[in-house]
Amino acid sequence: MANRITIDPITRIEGHLRIDVEVDNNAVSNAWASCTMWRGIEKILRGRDPRDAWLFTQRFCGVCTTVHAMASVRAVEDALQLEVPLNAQYIRNLILIAHALHDHIVHFYQLSALDWVDIMQIPKADPAATSRLAESLSPWTRNSRNEFKAAQDRVNAVAASGQLGIFMNGYWGHPAMRLSPEVNLLAFSHYVQALEYQRKALQVVGILGSKTPHIQNLTVGGVANAIDLDSQSALNMDRLEMIRVLLEDVVRFINEVYLVDVCAVAAMYPEWFKIGSGVRNYLAVPDLPLDTQGSAYDLPGGMIMNGNIAGVHPFKTASDKDFRQGVSEDVAHAYYQGGKPLHPWMGETEPEFTGWNAEQKYSWVKAPRFNGQPMQVGPLAQVLVGYAQGHPLTVKHATLAIGKIEAVGGIHVTPDMLHSTLGRHAARAIRASMLAELAQKHLQLLTDNIAKGDLSVCNSPVFPSHEVEGVGTHEAPRGTLSHWIVIEDAKIKNYQAVVPSTWNASPRDASGAHGPYEASLLHTPLARPDEPLEVLRTVHSFDPCMACACHTFDPSGRQIAKVKVL
Amino acid sequence: MKKILIGGIGNVLLGDDGVGPYVARLLDARYEFDEGVEVIDLGTPALDLIDQLSGRDGVILIDSVNAEADPGTVILYRKADIMRQRPAVRMDPHAPALVDALLSAELFGVAPVDVLLVGIKAESFEPGCRLSEPVTAALDGAIGEVLRELDRLGVDYWPRECAGEIDVWWTNEGKVAGRVFEDESISLRR
Repeated sequence: MANRITIDPITRIEGHLRIDVEVDNNAVSNAWASCTMWRGIEKILRGRDPRDAWLFTQRFCGVCTTVHAMASVRAVEDALQLEVPLNAQYIRNLILIAHALHDHIVHFYQLSALDWVDIMQIPKADPAATSRLAESLSPWTRNSRNEFKAAQDRVNAVAASGQLGIFMNGYWGHPAMRLSPEVNLLAFSHYVQALEYQRKALQVVGILGSKTPHIQNLTVGGVANAIDLDSQSALNMDRLEMIRVLLEDVVRFINEVYLVDVCAVAAMYPEWFKIGSGVRNYLAVPDLPLDTQGSAYDLPGGMIMNGNIAGVHPFKTASDKDFRQGVSEDVAHAYYQGGKPLHPWMGETEPEFTGWNAEQKYSWVKAPRFNGQPMQVGPLAQVLVGYAQGHPLTVKHATLAIGKIEAVGGIHVTPDMLHSTLGRHAARAIRASMLAELAQKHLQLLTDNIAKGDLSVCNSPVFPSHEVEGVGTHEAPRGTLSHWIVIEDAKIKNYQAVVPSTWNASPRDASGAHGPYEASLLHTPLARPDEPLEVLRTVHSFDPCMACACHTFDPSGRQIAKVKVL
Repeated sequence: MKKILIGGIGNVLLGDDGVGPYVARLLDARYEFDEGVEVIDLGTPALDLIDQLSGRDGVILIDSVNAEADPGTVILYRKADIMRQRPAVRMDPHAPALVDALLSAELFGVAPVDVLLVGIKAESFEPGCRLSEPVTAALDGAIGEVLRELDRLGVDYWPRECAGEIDVWWTNEGKVAGRVFEDESISLRR
């Protein structure tokens, strides 16, 4: 007899993902991912000036403001076939990279590390032994005994006070927690340091975007940054130098701490390379354009079906016809009116709430499909499509990371093992180290281009009176993001955002095919079904952020996780 | 010089949830403050709120809340209330972020000593860019609470010589891009 477990909500940051699993013989036998509330924010955009859309879309979500701004201006530019000056491309790329680095660091340390790290083991650790271990893994200069002692003292103080504070909701002492006290302390110390380095990445966003949260420097056709090397009030050499210094610190943290910690945790939980794969169809769009038309990119896009890495289908440009035509959204199990799947340009968003029903409708998230198939998006998708195409930067960083895991864990890691919960964490760290290298490259490209005397930042948009359609894509920290716009008479006629968490959190479609979260949970072993830590590990590995997936918040949802065993 | 944050929290696209950013921008349009005071529309922050909290002497946040009260009621919460009430009191749609950020800042030893949350009980969170009548009527009361807290903290403020226009661009039905980018060479080809 199967038991049903409900976890609601499951995200640690704003958002309200509900997971229901059936457990049979201490393993997940069926799963449902759903979003518990809906607000039709896209409708606010209809009738507005397309040049303003990005200011509104960056308010979809408080975590990914920048990415929704960027996808929006790109959608309008695509509809108008408007080129973007080189300086603007580089400035946008730097903002996107810095935001992604911040996001990946926060995801690993603040939002998911505590699924693997047992805080309550830390008082037993020996700071000197921790330091020796850390120094054997990395040249990072902040791995001293004193650093670890200070981190341990913080935890001791919390434990002694009896007020667990931020650690109130962990599954401490769970049998699936297996790190030694020293590794737990090492990871926690870096959890504290991570805050400093993610902030430096955000400062880069702030310098270029004039403000964060909510950058102010975008405009359809380019950016609104004035470039003048001799002016104190414009983007000048001082500011470029500030960015360079900040990036140096962030890059070092990524390579010497984040990547190393992910590899170490992976090496110590090798069974998680066999758990959590699910949907093996992957989708990523090319990003970080290198020219004004968007015909060459630094991050590759493409798709892989059924885990067939050799059969990868590349997307050469962000406006690839296969991508534009392939996307549809199915509402068979989502609380919307409508029958057959619709392309986003024809997309409708008419709610029809019928209550959670496992056999019928059960989520506010639509089910996006690509040529009718569910797709997994995110850093794993990006790394796999790049690796499959022999993209040199991807191959270089993936090989480096795999080598580290093998060295620490004494295990053999094949690309196939990346279809897993740990594969998603490893791929995010690999992507971060690729982006770290690209951050410095794009800063140099910008500096060199300005030095040549090119100061242009924007091309003015011209709107036709007839109807035009566009799609703006961005390979965001959580995966492929696309904004779909229909413009008529310089006004927005339709607007749909297909966000990464919609792909991954999608419910079943009309054919009954599971979405990626759902599929990834099947067969997961649970040591203690009433403390489903293993479910959290896999769901968190996708980096869920439901705020924009269902454009929601729950005014009453204050629990971090409600676990109900039926 | 005291380092003070006045932060408006909320989603400006979801009706009364926009009240926090609205109040922040009203304050900015009407008053000037001692050096060291920052007035910020924070949107709906997650853990990056830690960065905004850390290293400040005092933090005053304005947000919509979901307490048992009539819409438009202004309710004050102190730091201890926020940290203590975590699982029990339903207070705020963004509370997980606020509470987590404050608890993290406390753990790292960078939390402000003084925290005041000026809560305004919302009427509606339906999508839309306007505040409801009872919440609109509560704006001056909320501003009064912020100013009273500044008095308590010994921080000076004074009315602007010529009050600026309130930058609540999201409530405009017309276009707003001109605000950001003054270039009107953008043409419309018929």
